[in-house]
Amino acid sequence: MDFLSNFWGNVVLGFSVAGTPFNLLLCFVGVFLGTLIGVLPGIGPMTGVALLIPLTFSLQPTAAIILMAGIYYGAMYGGSTTSILVNTPGESSSVVTCLDGYQMAKKGRAGQALAAAAIGSFIAGTFATLMLMLFGPWVAGIALKFGPPEFFSLMLAGLTVVTSLAGRSLVKALFATIFGLAIATMGIDNQSGVPRFVFNNPELMDGLEFLVVAIGLFALCEVFVNMADMKGAVMERLSIKGSLWMSKEDWKRFFPSCIRGTLSGFFVGGIAGAGAAVASFVSYGLEKKASKYRDELGHGAIEGVTGPESANNAAAGGSLIHLLCLGIPGSGTTAIMLGALLMIGLQPGPLLFTQQPEFVWGLIASMYIGNVMLLVLNLPLVGMWVKLLDIPLYLLMLFIIMFSFLGVYTMNNSIQDLFLMVGFGVIGYLMKRLDIPAAPVILGIVLGKLMEEKMRQSLVISDGSLMIFINRPISLFLLLLAIVAITNPYWKQIGRVVRRLFGGAPAV
Amino acid sequence: MKENREERIASIVLIIFSATYLTGAFFIPMPALKQQLGPGGFPIAIGFAMLILACIYAWQQFRGGTTAKESEEEIEKRAVIIGAEEKIEKKADLRTMGFILGLMLLYAFFFEILGYAISTFLMFMAGAFYLDRRHLVRDGVIAVISSFFLYYVFTILLRVQLPAGPLKFLEF
Repeated sequence: MDFLSNFWGNVVLGFSVAGTPFNLLLCFVGVFLGTLIGVLPGIGPMTGVALLIPLTFSLQPTAAIILMAGIYYGAMYGGSTTSILVNTPGESSSVVTCLDGYQMAKKGRAGQALAAAAIGSFIAGTFATLMLMLFGPWVAGIALKFGPPEFFSLMLAGLTVVTSLAGRSLVKALFATIFGLAIATMGIDNQSGVPRFVFNNPELMDGLEFLVVAIGLFALCEVFVNMADMKGAVMERLSIKGSLWMSKEDWKRFFPSCIRGTLSGFFVGGIAGAGAAVASFVSYGLEKKASKYRDELGHGAIEGVTGPESANNAAAGGSLIHLLCLGIPGSGTTAIMLGALLMIGLQPGPLLFTQQPEFVWGLIASMYIGNVMLLVLNLPLVGMWVKLLDIPLYLLMLFIIMFSFLGVYTMNNSIQDLFLMVGFGVIGYLMKRLDIPAAPVILGIVLGKLMEEKMRQSLVISDGSLMIFINRPISLFLLLLAIVAITNPYWKQIGRVVRRLFGGAPAV
Repeated sequence: MKENREERIASIVLIIFSATYLTGAFFIPMPALKQQLGPGGFPIAIGFAMLILACIYAWQQFRGGTTAKESEEEIEKRAVIIGAEEKIEKKADLRTMGFILGLMLLYAFFFEILGYAISTFLMFMAGAFYLDRRHLVRDGVIAVISSFFLYYVFTILLRVQLPAGPLKFLEF
């Protein structure tokens, strides 16, 4: 009973925090801007959250995370709209939605597709929030027992899992991650006071600001990519014909795929720590195997919209568990959110639940509220959002340049930061040309300092012996997990080699 | 094969970068107080890892042939994950690219000298003029709103400091 009364106390606390007029307004502004970003082509949730971080500078941490979570959620919703109507995913996790969503729209069932996406997202988002409420404190409780070696191994595992799923080439993704870690070593070493890679430049004493890199790599890079490669591209879009209401038949097909999508998405995002894009792929695959109407998939089946859309929202909610309970981001967007929280001076992690309950529960409550707002904002107003696609691309790009400069300048009032940001924009463009993923860089920067700190603390405990990471069971388990994640693409090959070595013995 | 050349050059650049970083890491001074792992340890480890990866990358590029280790489908499945990783296949418009880069550099250079409002207005107009000059009046109105109007919103309503430049006398 103690647990239950605690639980209710927390829920009441959360809603009392999130329910203040100011926080409600922020939540609304967040989901509104998020939807805007999600709908606009070329601006994904990562770019969006990075661009809008400066808005949170003057806010309290709780208010800031409410705003950011709203943007995050909104962008997840908005991305599906363009997938369905324009066949252009607003972000990577709604790529799969194009397959069936656009086909449905072509058949004049755009309304139902949008409704299925929105309601599926709503159910999945609410489920993920509920799980965060139920299991968050428990996970945080386990993590409280972690020492520096466990945290180091946890971060290593987190980095490798995300890296192993990013991009086409494992080598490139790994290089990107370590490049991020290398950037994080710049500045004064806070344990010995020794300057590292500062080049006698006083502005680099505090290291490179993460926002400079994030906005350069994502926002300015988008400008280069869009201007250099798709100048004057015209997008055709389908109008929304027919009603938004789903028929009885639609509902009947909606629920099983929604439940499958939600559960698989939550598993992928919340437990495996992979991002929303992976979740949507897994869900589509699952629908292809499990759905009764699997033959219709690809030709406008409602399952192909509901499943992935539920999955990506469940995963988005699930990855917040990692962020809040462990302080480890599970995706590019949550890495940017973590960076922003660190800038405000708040270190997410297991202590958060006990030390700052109003922050955690306020956020959770605002996620419920945000989900409802999104449903209201998206379904009736979908026509308005689609009009946004009329904004000429070049104006949009000029706006991105302007907001990038505005945001980075107001952070430190530094012109040097502006030039560095442009530099990272160019690096981002080159990386994109070479197909090196950018998200791992951000992950590396955000986790770098903390990872080094935990490693050095561990070595102090063990008096310099690296065995401390292997001798402790939880740490060993996490390290093994990291190894599995890294070698994952090579399993098939390894299996083939083993089979050849042992004379064609049947493998498992 | 042009693409491959690009990647070959990139792999060499990455090796040079990694080697430079690693060398720099070895020159990090040790603090007077002895520590289990000084400030140089972590960067050295990172430097080695980066150098090894860059060498593997170069080896993959120079060995020639295709890197068809994984089946196409497998590669595509992982491709879209994390941050719209669509591969740029069209030929880049280098002139526009150079213009945008120059625009950004000039904007950064004049940001404080001319102040936010004037530099933003000029950046916007220059961009619109180069990219699409069919709607200059409309774009001009948008430029005024996003420069002068936004300046007042930020400095007076939100109390965020922005450089005033020559318009200092307008402040109150």
